[in-house]
Amino acid sequence: MLTNIISISLGAILINNFIFSQFLGCCPFLGCSSKVETATGMGLAVVFVMGLASAICWVINEYLLVALHLEFLQTLAFILVIAALVQFVEMFLKKSVPSLYSALGIYLPLITTNCAVLGVVLLNVQNNYNFLESLVYGITGGLGFMLAIVLFASVRERIEFSDYPECFEGFPICLVSAALLALAFMGFSGMKIF
Amino acid sequence: MNIKKQFKEGLITNNPVLVQLIGMCATMAITTTLFNGVGMGLSVLIILTCCNVAVSAIRKIIPNEIRLAIFVVIIAGFVTIVDLLLKAYIPALSDALGVFIPLIVVNCIIIGRAEAFCQKNTVGASFFDGIFQGLGYTLVLIVMCIFRELIGSGRFGGGLIDIANGFRLTMDGTGAGIQIFPETFGASIMTLPFGGFLTLGLLIAVMQYALKKSAKKQELKAQAEKEVDE
Amino acid sequence: MNKILKLTIVLFLVCAIVAGVLGVVNELTKDTIAEQQRIKTEKAYAAVLASDGYTEVDFDKAANPSIDKISECTNGAGHVVMTTFTGAQGRITMAVGVDTDYKCTGISIISHSETSGLGANAASSAEVGVNWRAQFVGEDKNVAITKAGGNIDALAGATITSRSVAEATAAAIVAVESLG
Repeated sequence: MLTNIISISLGAILINNFIFSQFLGCCPFLGCSSKVETATGMGLAVVFVMGLASAICWVINEYLLVALHLEFLQTLAFILVIAALVQFVEMFLKKSVPSLYSALGIYLPLITTNCAVLGVVLLNVQNNYNFLESLVYGITGGLGFMLAIVLFASVRERIEFSDYPECFEGFPICLVSAALLALAFMGFSGMKIF
Repeated sequence: MNIKKQFKEGLITNNPVLVQLIGMCATMAITTTLFNGVGMGLSVLIILTCCNVAVSAIRKIIPNEIRLAIFVVIIAGFVTIVDLLLKAYIPALSDALGVFIPLIVVNCIIIGRAEAFCQKNTVGASFFDGIFQGLGYTLVLIVMCIFRELIGSGRFGGGLIDIANGFRLTMDGTGAGIQIFPETFGASIMTLPFGGFLTLGLLIAVMQYALKKSAKKQELKAQAEKEVDE
Repeated sequence: MNKILKLTIVLFLVCAIVAGVLGVVNELTKDTIAEQQRIKTEKAYAAVLASDGYTEVDFDKAANPSIDKISECTNGAGHVVMTTFTGAQGRITMAVGVDTDYKCTGISIISHSETSGLGANAASSAEVGVNWRAQFVGEDKNVAITKAGGNIDALAGATITSRSVAEATAAAIVAVESLG
């Protein structure tokens, strides 16, 4: 059991990183990563939402949808749960950490449309993970996302001072840098710990 | 309702991926064969058009506070319908696209168009907006697929085209494609995430260059006309 | 309070309508989807061990975690094992035919996400894939790649994929043996 958890964690963070291997979560990855502080905040929020969403959606899937043979309602149910969850996180942050709330701005409600959150919930179902495995995959998937976004933010802070062709301004140069980061992460592929 | 203007906007000047810069996750993830690209593009086009029409039809009766939640529910409904239909009739596409079909729910393009356009426009305009934005998206997917597949495996039309017994389109993903040059000479890294990021970055750069050049030309033309007037 | 109640009711109504429509579509497509799944599995099974039918049998799931299901051939030719395991780039699902002497009759990869041109050749229907998979025919539960002391030549540039497939084949044969 423990070896399973460890291999899921390492898989989610390094070997099959949500951004650099599975492309889940690209929009906030590219949009929210201009500064390392914002990126860290966004990353932490996503870890929290992903973990909680994994847990709640697993329970709903197991005891409601599968039990009543309503698997076709998975997409609908999951996205509603995630939307509600993000609302709560938003209210919570507004009250307790208002500085982070204003720093994240529009990107906080956008966690609802973050492919990574819905993606991890759907992958949990696809891989037939039990509750603990789903929770671990959710949290470590979020950590992988956070690792990617923080690394990328530090790269972007440097890009601001480099010379590049004018037509590459904005997203294109970011995408090319992300390509190089993805190349680096490829070094982890095929790693088997146990 | 200006269809010609909407057509130009959807495909070029307001292209969802290359100009609005939304809906990029799926674009990079599935563009490894032409079958995937065309399949995903058409699925998004159908879902986008249906959602646009539905949202526009009920735009006057839904309460403003929960409009986003209702959009999401409607989109989830259409995505599930398309998902079930694909699983039943084109299972090869369903397998190839995997988790990215249900992920169309959170594709920013659909929610973005619903929020930005369909709320304030007629059903007819929304219908055409859906078609043209969907076409713009499909076009980007096709270009990316062709580029990545050609450089990555020397192939054109993998999964979709079969030239063994004369040219035909295979709807079940079994077409071997046209091998332009032997696969061993291809840079298979283009079919990996690296290739995805790189191709999209290059495409957006090309689009930005083209738009800037066209904007400069317009500016010069306007200036020349001003000078003639003076 | 009244307003929140009204909003909740509207949202609930919309959800109910959408769920109802989905229920109808699901009913209409349920059988076709099940049929497609059945055809896919039987095609994969027929590729490894031909038989006119396959009946699923019970096995010890805890002792064989990577095995999804074992089916017995109705013509007594042996068993077909469906197994899912980790390859180089993700999970691979494969069918393994095991005859009554506990030797492999063939392998067929049903789904994978291996690198195209490298690990994906294991599943390819081109000559390279067909020849590589043919190596497994006749192997017993000690099947392994040459690097691990066995007879299977690994695919060029895809040692990890090759090793995973060989290990999974061995596990499948062991699972059938343990059926008794």
